[in-house]
Amino acid sequence: MSKAKNFSVVGKRVQRVEGFDKVTGDSKFIADIHLPGMLTGRILRSPYPHARIRSIDTSKAEKLRGVRAVVTAEDTIKRPWGAFFADQYILSVGKTRYVGEEVAAVAAIDPDIAEEALDLIEVDWEPLPGVFDADEAMLDGAPLVHDDKPNNIAMHLDLERGNIVQAFADSDIIVEDTFTSMPQWHCAIETIGSVAEYSPNGKYTIYMNTQTLFNARYRIATALGVPETDVRVIQSAVGGGFGGKSCDDNNALVCAVLARKAGKPVRVINTREEEFLAGCRPRVFMKINVKLGFKKDGRIRAKELKVIADNGAYSAKAPAITGVAAMRHDTCYKYSDVKLEAKLIYTNKIPTGAFRGFGNPSAEWAVEQAIDLGAHALGIDPLEIARINAAETGYVSPHGNRVTSCELKQCLDMVENMIDWKAKRANKQPNTGMGLACTVHVSGKRHFGDYDGSSATIKINEDGKALILSGEGECGQGVHTAMCQIAAEELGVPVEDVEISRADTDLTTFCLGAFASRLTYVSGNAVKNAATNVKQQLYEQAAEMLEANAADLISRDGRIFVQGAEGKSVTVADVARARLFRHNGAPIVGSGSFDADSVLPDSTRFGNESGAYNYGVQAAQVHVDPLTGQVKVLQMVVASDCGTVIYPIGAEGQVEGGLAQGIGYALTEGLQFDEGRPLNPNFSDYRIPSMRDMPPLQHAFADSYEPTGPFGAKGLGELNMDPTAAVINNAIFDAVGVRVKTLPITPEKILRALKEKKG
Amino acid sequence: MKKQLNLNVNGQDYEVEVEANRLLLQVLRDTLDLTGTKEGCSIGVCGACSVILDGRLVSSCLTLAAGCEGKKIETIEGLAKDGKLHPLQQAFIEYGGFQCGICTPGQIMAAKSLLDENPKPSEEEVKEWMSGNLCRCTGYYKILESVMAVVDGKTDPNYAFRKRETTAKIQSLDVYKSVAKTSSD
Ligand code: FES
Ligand code: FES
Repeated sequence: MSKAKNFSVVGKRVQRVEGFDKVTGDSKFIADIHLPGMLTGRILRSPYPHARIRSIDTSKAEKLRGVRAVVTAEDTIKRPWGAFFADQYILSVGKTRYVGEEVAAVAAIDPDIAEEALDLIEVDWEPLPGVFDADEAMLDGAPLVHDDKPNNIAMHLDLERGNIVQAFADSDIIVEDTFTSMPQWHCAIETIGSVAEYSPNGKYTIYMNTQTLFNARYRIATALGVPETDVRVIQSAVGGGFGGKSCDDNNALVCAVLARKAGKPVRVINTREEEFLAGCRPRVFMKINVKLGFKKDGRIRAKELKVIADNGAYSAKAPAITGVAAMRHDTCYKYSDVKLEAKLIYTNKIPTGAFRGFGNPSAEWAVEQAIDLGAHALGIDPLEIARINAAETGYVSPHGNRVTSCELKQCLDMVENMIDWKAKRANKQPNTGMGLACTVHVSGKRHFGDYDGSSATIKINEDGKALILSGEGECGQGVHTAMCQIAAEELGVPVEDVEISRADTDLTTFCLGAFASRLTYVSGNAVKNAATNVKQQLYEQAAEMLEANAADLISRDGRIFVQGAEGKSVTVADVARARLFRHNGAPIVGSGSFDADSVLPDSTRFGNESGAYNYGVQAAQVHVDPLTGQVKVLQMVVASDCGTVIYPIGAEGQVEGGLAQGIGYALTEGLQFDEGRPLNPNFSDYRIPSMRDMPPLQHAFADSYEPTGPFGAKGLGELNMDPTAAVINNAIFDAVGVRVKTLPITPEKILRALKEKKG
Repeated sequence: MKKQLNLNVNGQDYEVEVEANRLLLQVLRDTLDLTGTKEGCSIGVCGACSVILDGRLVSSCLTLAAGCEGKKIETIEGLAKDGKLHPLQQAFIEYGGFQCGICTPGQIMAAKSLLDENPKPSEEEVKEWMSGNLCRCTGYYKILESVMAVVDGKTDPNYAFRKRETTAKIQSLDVYKSVAKTSSD
């Protein structure tokens, strides 16, 4: 029997609420926002990976005609800020720690003048020795990125659950290897930007293309030293987020400082090069040593992980990301005894941070290959190994993650059928191979304060339409459409009769924003609760009008009637107006909140981090040309368990888009660093997939229902970014018997490995 | 050095005075306030700034405005006629050919320039042609599906757009006089 329920709006292929604006070019992205008198801001960035600033002379720049403000750290309160550790400044204080760090900034009447003024700022630099490799950075005597961090260690996690020595002793076979992942840039086609305005009464109004407004407001208020209420963040349309627009960078802060000093609105938009150097915080790169012990029958008995993560010069969210890399995957399979050690290390490189997957892609790149190694060592089909160990509903991970719904085994069945796994493996062609990997992700994560919730308000307008006010972060993924569907389903109105506002910290209630695949789940629940509240008010008024009991009413298609007596009804519009236009009238408006039933992990990081867990499986067939090392992905199949699918077009888009980023991560995306300086930071050298790079794809959603989700839904956004690199590498191994152990998997590396194998 | 230019954009003539080194992208966006054309990479790689110049697809971030004198420039703003969307625009909504939408004007202009030339391209031809337009959100599957829907005539002729005028379904907004009534039907 299907777990899916029957809904009237949820699960239907409705249109994106912003569709019209997007296809006509009318959507207002940050670069499309123009305020009267607006100036252009440009940032002077450090050319050195590590240097002392002896002095800065801005006098020449200030005198240039058309310049309205020049700012340095002296124009700030020099209070360090950061998501988890306060270790970065708006503008360098005394020292710079990576190439691209913000040192000074200019606002001028046009971009050319601003650029010219940057050249007139004189900085007296004293270059310092830098450290660019995490292993070297830990050595005694290595240059210190931050003087108060001995051996450049930003964070050290060391945990054991169960008895790892005993567990390995119990194992029939043990596999071990080390895999290195690379930084990956978000490459949202729209770069980070801000437009800031300051009024002398003390209020900052900042338009941002951020995916986390209230976190942005909190960090801006902290760094500027003002109360949160003095900062209003208004969201523009966001041209792609993927974690990169979650406010760990200084763009909006510099913009705000310039606006205050210039007394005029200022716009600061990163160029593509700036975006690579110091904009979005690229994926944390990690070296992961993984050791797995198996019983003969394929059960995993022991797991040990050693992670060395490169933090870059400042921490942003890397501490949480490193923890996720070390622990999250233990919710994917049934583990008993695990040990992990993770070190997060400062280097003089770009700060790393949140990117779709949040540590999981690096972890799955390593662990899912180790599982494959185990399968080969045991002579068991990798799909069977996954099936033997797969988590199930009711599983509690060694770290306390409680799984309330899990269709991983169903996903394995689906993938097996879609790609015809058994037949293709039985009929293996030369240089062609099959690989797969499983994946798990959260639906929200409790780590910003003891809260993983959301809130929303819904008001019914005089025309009967519902308007949702939400402070969450639509950043292109389409969650606003899902929220409208959830409200429409609960209110019993057509989805076209529900609108949603953009987020604005002055007008919408507190929301954490878009990260951790949380929005459909947490904000979906908040919207649903708000709709229940509003429906109650509608029913009370309608009961009066229909001379019936509120408890007997139901609504459908925008009409409210007594159950079983549809002939006599009132419209939502009638009800809203009747409630408003009378003595003691009042608009119909209601709020809803939701906080996930998760636990703030304790000092040993034990605790159910999320309200729900989503699962999936990917498989690929690849062909490797042994002469050129070229990999051709012949086919991919994907099965995802995200509970009820609320908005199918959007959900499919999340799978397809995540997969594309996974393919880029696997095969092409990487930049060389020279002494901490990324070489060729542009779209021709950093190659993201284009249309012709995408393989034939078949994908489907598991029949699934999450009991704590809105209409059974849970998260999805990151799930299909996570395993792809391992899937492809497992298939390459099956094809030609070699494994490249550092990302990206380039033809050169494959050729080298093939040559080594030949001896 | 400022230069006087006559530009024809979406059938309308504009007289502008701009620096000789200004790019078409800058003039469209900053001088003419046609901000539908987007900037993604500034080096001719991503296609976000795609416009059609005398029938040819160009990157407006690499095109000098001065070279466009007397030529016909088509941008995303010119596609919808009398409030009616171009079939490609409809298809992108119907088949979900966008997520954030920042690449979408460029994608649609690129597809239009292909279909203007060859209304029946194969899927392979579409893939090759569209590979100059990067998208970081969609993985391209739904963009391809949207374009192929137009090629194969699969868009819904009666597609009802989600637009604000759906309000019309609710009786006129005669709020101040309205008396709530119970309707029987
Ligand atoms: S902005 Fe012109 S091609 Fe990217
Ligand atoms: S839809 Fe976001 S870049 Fe294409």
